[in-house]
Amino acid sequence: MNLTAKNKWLLLIFSALAGFVNGFLGGGGGVLIVTLLLAVVKLHQKHAQATALLVILPLTVVSAVVYLVRGNVDWEPTLWATLGVVVGGVVGALLLSKIKGNVAKIIFALVLVAGGVKMLF
Amino acid sequence: MTIFLLILFGFLAGIVGGMGMGGGTVLVPLLSFLDLPQKTIQAINLVSFLPMCSVALIFHAKNRLVETKHVLWLIVPAIIFAVAGALVADVASNEILRLCFAVFLIAVGIWQLVLSVKFVVKQRKERRNSTPADTGVLNDEMPEQSVATKRQYDDTDN
Repeated sequence: MNLTAKNKWLLLIFSALAGFVNGFLGGGGGVLIVTLLLAVVKLHQKHAQATALLVILPLTVVSAVVYLVRGNVDWEPTLWATLGVVVGGVVGALLLSKIKGNVAKIIFALVLVAGGVKMLF
Repeated sequence: MTIFLLILFGFLAGIVGGMGMGGGTVLVPLLSFLDLPQKTIQAINLVSFLPMCSVALIFHAKNRLVETKHVLWLIVPAIIFAVAGALVADVASNEILRLCFAVFLIAVGIWQLVLSVKFVVKQRKERRNSTPADTGVLNDEMPEQSVATKRQYDDTDN
């Protein structure tokens, strides 16, 4: 599929927004990128989720460098949490190819709302 | 105990992240249970995501789920604005960042919930309207598989 001029603008504007959110909040841009890949590039759910990682990786690198340079990285808790994330990441990647798209989406949406409410109180 | 919780929360968020669903949106609220400044939490999220994302990408590439077409249209603007966002975060207070993150999570969560429920309802309707012979074609991958199966049959005929 080739992109129309309108779709190119949509990708440029909303990926810029996703990048800003990811740098400002230290994450969360992936959700917007997945949505763009689904709605504009017309990828299937699983392909959109996997491809979003390819987009998020470089912008996370540059954001992390800015946090590091500005002295916002505390290495001890970072390394312990990273250990857990790496092991969990492998488990999640193996699960993705087995579960149904909608089930994953609904569970994820509920987790997000719960997480946000928790952070408010 | 804190070390155990850091590893546990990382593991849980890693599962979600490995599935390509922004594990950071899970790790940040989990880490907010611990006594850490919001900026430190956000930095943990960014740094811990790097090895996880690389590992997960290798798995997804093997499963042929990664599409490289058109991605530069997303990567270039996202990188530029990510630097801007990180610089703004540096001058913002931890309280403001935490509040922004909470509002962002709730907004995205409700939005995703509405989208996925709409999708399920639409799928149910399509299932009801389709003939019994079509009911198998519900999974995303089915059309591609059908083509592959048809090709197999064609090959067999030859």
